[in-house]
Amino acid sequence: MSRFLLRRILLGLLTLLLVSIVVFAATQALPGNAARAILGRNATPARLAALTLQLHLNRSVPSQYFHWLGGLVTGNLGTSAATQQPVSQLISGRIANSAFLVFVSAIIAIPLSIALGVLMAVRRDRPTDHILSTTSLALASLPDFVIGIGLALLFATNVTHILPAVSLIPPGEHAWNVPKEVILPAATLIIAVTPYISRIMRASMVEVLESDYVTMARLKGLPNRTVIWRHAVPNAIVPAIQVSALQLAYMAGGVVLVEYVFSFPGVGAQLVDSVGNRDIPVVQALAIIIAAVYVVVNLAADLLTIVVTPRLRTAGR
Amino acid sequence: MTDYEFSEQRDGLTRRQVLHGALTGGAMLTAGGLLAACGSSGSSSASASSSAGSSPASTGALKSGGSLSVGATGGGAKDTIDAHLPTADTDIMRCWNLYEPLAVRPPSFGPLEMMVAESIEAEHGKADSWVVKLRPGIEFHNGKTVTADDVIFSLQRILDPKDPKVGAASIGYVDIKNVKKLSASSLRLPLKFANATFLDDIGQYFNAIVPVGYDPAKPVGTGAFMYESFTPGQQSVFKKFPNYWQTGKPYVDSLTIIDFTDDTARVNALLGGQVQAIDNLPTGQISQIQGNSALKVLISHTGQWQPFTMRVDQAPFSDVRVRQAMRLIVNRPQMVEQVLSGQGRIANDMYAPFDPAYDTALPQRVQDLEQAKSLLKQAGHAGLTVQLTTAPVFQGVVQAAEVFAQQATGAGVTVNLQKLDTGTFYGPNYLKWTFAQDFWATREYLPQVAQGSLPTSPFNETHWADPTFLKLIAQARATLDETQRDDILRQAETIEYNSGGYIIPYFSNQIDAYSGKLGGFVEAKSGFPLGNYWFKNVGYTA
Repeated sequence: MSRFLLRRILLGLLTLLLVSIVVFAATQALPGNAARAILGRNATPARLAALTLQLHLNRSVPSQYFHWLGGLVTGNLGTSAATQQPVSQLISGRIANSAFLVFVSAIIAIPLSIALGVLMAVRRDRPTDHILSTTSLALASLPDFVIGIGLALLFATNVTHILPAVSLIPPGEHAWNVPKEVILPAATLIIAVTPYISRIMRASMVEVLESDYVTMARLKGLPNRTVIWRHAVPNAIVPAIQVSALQLAYMAGGVVLVEYVFSFPGVGAQLVDSVGNRDIPVVQALAIIIAAVYVVVNLAADLLTIVVTPRLRTAGR
Repeated sequence: MTDYEFSEQRDGLTRRQVLHGALTGGAMLTAGGLLAACGSSGSSSASASSSAGSSPASTGALKSGGSLSVGATGGGAKDTIDAHLPTADTDIMRCWNLYEPLAVRPPSFGPLEMMVAESIEAEHGKADSWVVKLRPGIEFHNGKTVTADDVIFSLQRILDPKDPKVGAASIGYVDIKNVKKLSASSLRLPLKFANATFLDDIGQYFNAIVPVGYDPAKPVGTGAFMYESFTPGQQSVFKKFPNYWQTGKPYVDSLTIIDFTDDTARVNALLGGQVQAIDNLPTGQISQIQGNSALKVLISHTGQWQPFTMRVDQAPFSDVRVRQAMRLIVNRPQMVEQVLSGQGRIANDMYAPFDPAYDTALPQRVQDLEQAKSLLKQAGHAGLTVQLTTAPVFQGVVQAAEVFAQQATGAGVTVNLQKLDTGTFYGPNYLKWTFAQDFWATREYLPQVAQGSLPTSPFNETHWADPTFLKLIAQARATLDETQRDDILRQAETIEYNSGGYIIPYFSNQIDAYSGKLGGFVEAKSGFPLGNYWFKNVGYTA
């Protein structure tokens, strides 16, 4: 088990290193540099030369990369080209906001979808199942931003005005102190990911409910609740864990669109803006963090799978 | 009725107003005349602009107090609050409210209004040296009175050869080494060459006056609002400057500028009441906002233009007949309809429509595909194929390229679109594209020429350098008499009209929206959103 963990962590670190190289190469391939992007139309040769020097863009590409990597190892993410502020200071508030949004969404969406999946499986081919399945299929086929705009229409702009239409979190304030501003973006994410997880849960639950040991348990006269939650769910949950992990990782990156629709001050808007500005230190830092979330979440899902699967739990011994 | 159908009438009115205004002010601008004309000498309810009968009713009684939140487009991490480095729209919005230049054109685009200066006059009746007198007692936010030293410091900061600011491109010809302080509140600005329209160059929002030792981390100016906080890409909070020189203004106690990356989010914030005004309302949403009784749409008929730029020094456009043919290909009314949803006025391949010298006698160019084909044939370019470089540098620009390509097929011309992102478009090849597009704000004729139509201009996309034209411009710059100068300028315009490298299909409207509880917003012919972003004129009506 510990050897497995160590190997996975090392592989994860290697993945992150490769990601950093790819992202750096990609940002270099973007036409124009930070000085040009910042000045835009006002890039007269004299102003361009002055800013290029200020931003150290005259150094060679590998030297810029290793300078950044060295900083990363020592916990220094560098200085933003666009704002001249330390990157960590620039993005920490944003990361906290996005993390809170994803966390709130996940903590509601995952139990909710597992419960819905179980319900659909138990009521298979009955009206409840049909209604829930059709609804979730319809929601799954809608892009995130359509869901977001629809919710804003219903609760903020046209039909009612009970919630804020956009998440105007004042700078320096944390999302958790202004929960009202988080409701709509979180609801959007929940509606976006719930169908996937619940459908997987339903499918695997249906399979488990048809298995011999569930029939056996029922024949033994165990109460229905015990059969479902003690015997069926633990065996049906593995695919749901895996797909939840994927959805979580998707949220970490895909939160971009939702943040856009609600002007939520998270990593999404920051990432889009930084790519536009060719602000490579910020792009790098955010890409690494999002990649790290992928690695960690997938690792956690694998560990959890092992924990709930006795066969795998003992295989390593 | 679509907008361009009645645009001529509206335009004519405007021009007369501008002309009239220019005669009272003109090159002999003094604060006395202007202050009387603008009614800003102490009456608290007058709005800065006296014109614009077409602007939404700004009912007289504005109450003091309340806070105003404005949703703005185009902000990001690179936002700045530096008085002399505005680039994005939100930077410009901050500049208009925190700082003031010596003089500036009001939203009506009438004659320059004196701001920090009381008067700016040509010395000895010659346009190569100007005397600036400062407004008596005008204060910075920190309580210090503005002096000639502050003006000199500001100009030196703008023209710093090691770190030139935005304004360096407009007033680079000020002989900064020989600027002379005449008294605590007056100074002489000598120019490297005579320029009768120097006021238009110095009178730009980015040439703001800041105190000696100005530190952008603690921004101080003379504007109606004082700095409180600023977070790039998110929001800026300003509060009322109680000692603002225009007594009674601003009306609101605080101003918050909130950055939005997405159009939908910005409109939703207005609909939901989280902001009270937004700039750049997407044309698709006009009817939705107009149908909402709690909100108002502000449509400004501006002089901003988004030209196609043909390099006159490169084949095939080096042949004037090809340029003429391209101009005849454009179906302007159709372009206004399809690209702007009718929100614009057709143009005539000439810029600076509000300049008294703008030549209305030149016939309106209309689509003539037969003539275009014949010109191309004469030039040996029948069945021409060209590449048009386009990027979303301004709303409607890429759509205009698509419409143009489609219209060109009528003359047997194939236009291949090279679509780039904005960063690449303004990359190393900017100003080198053979056939591309660009965007420009409202300017008078000579200041625009200085920006884009001279070999020394920072943005001469068409590489225009016609010798007769250059001679006329030099002559006009040295002519203080306005009637004479306008005659010369019309000759220069005629040359551009006949053989220039720009295709100017239209002047686009500026569309903003605001809450019906607010008053004081006026149409900005200048093209700066929300009435020049002059929130000092805005207040709650109830």
